[in-house]
Amino acid sequence: MGPLSQLPEHLEELINELMNPAFIVGDSHFGLTNFVFYMIICAIILVVLVICVGRKLTLVPGNKFVHTVEYGYEFVRNDIGKGSIGKGFKKHIPFLATLFFFILIANFIGLVPGAKAATGSISIAWALAIISFIYFNYWGIKTKGGLTYLKEIAPAGLPKIMVPVIWFFEFLSLCLRALTLAFRLFGNMFAGHMVLGIFAILTSIFTTYAIQNAEYLIALPSFAWLFFLFAMYMLEVLVAFLQAYVFTTLSAVYIQLATSSH
Amino acid sequence: MEIAAGLKVIGYGLATLGPGIGIGLACYACCMATARQPELQGRLFTNFIIGAALVEALALIGFVLALIAS
Repeated sequence: MGPLSQLPEHLEELINELMNPAFIVGDSHFGLTNFVFYMIICAIILVVLVICVGRKLTLVPGNKFVHTVEYGYEFVRNDIGKGSIGKGFKKHIPFLATLFFFILIANFIGLVPGAKAATGSISIAWALAIISFIYFNYWGIKTKGGLTYLKEIAPAGLPKIMVPVIWFFEFLSLCLRALTLAFRLFGNMFAGHMVLGIFAILTSIFTTYAIQNAEYLIALPSFAWLFFLFAMYMLEVLVAFLQAYVFTTLSAVYIQLATSSH
Repeated sequence: MEIAAGLKVIGYGLATLGPGIGIGLACYACCMATARQPELQGRLFTNFIIGAALVEALALIGFVLALIAS
């Protein structure tokens, strides 16, 4: 009976913690889960940040804080918006910037020990993906008109007989975009927190076992687990940024695909 | 029950093989092209993201199936 035999029960608790949101207020009919709680915190931080910076806007950024936020905004505008959408990107920038900063802040809140990433909940990831899905379809229909938009799902220049088949598959892939957007975000955040949790649990059960049974050599692997925990944590910082970036870039690319004619 | 859970994990593992190779190839080609023509980096990277998203969809569908098949 080594310390590893205690892992399954702790794992069950971890999965339960990450998969099933706990209710802070109310019940399943009308209530507030911890994921929604952190989402509200994220929204408040976002609004406060933007209002604080918006009041201090000058031609040359006054202090480092304003400069940082402006750099983030310019990153969204130039790298994501201009690079992906191209012509007529300006009217989509508010949407893209909101999406980017919301996901970024939500992901980084999740990295604070004890807090949860709002995007690590499947319902919030779905909500964000569906907002993006409706947005790019709306702009596609608005710029091209409903029938033309539907018709141009299939690329131009196909032989006539192939058009319905290709149209069907392209339509399927269009509908799958919402699903893949949601599950990419959810899967990455969920799996990342799962791995962090497993290494944290391993560290703690090895140390506890060694202290309880006075076999101090068994505590040695916990140093390795702790090292892995820190390494994974650094990777998670990268992933938190990367997922916000990928989600926003893909939204921009989908907007570009929907609004430009072939 | 245990076998079913194991099979799900194996199925998901199989589903990641193809997309893993695909994203690797896409990233390789993107890096090569960027090294040859650094001025096209923005457009190349956008194309890489589109390709990676299309390829990754398969792995994500595998993930979804592993979750919902119970």
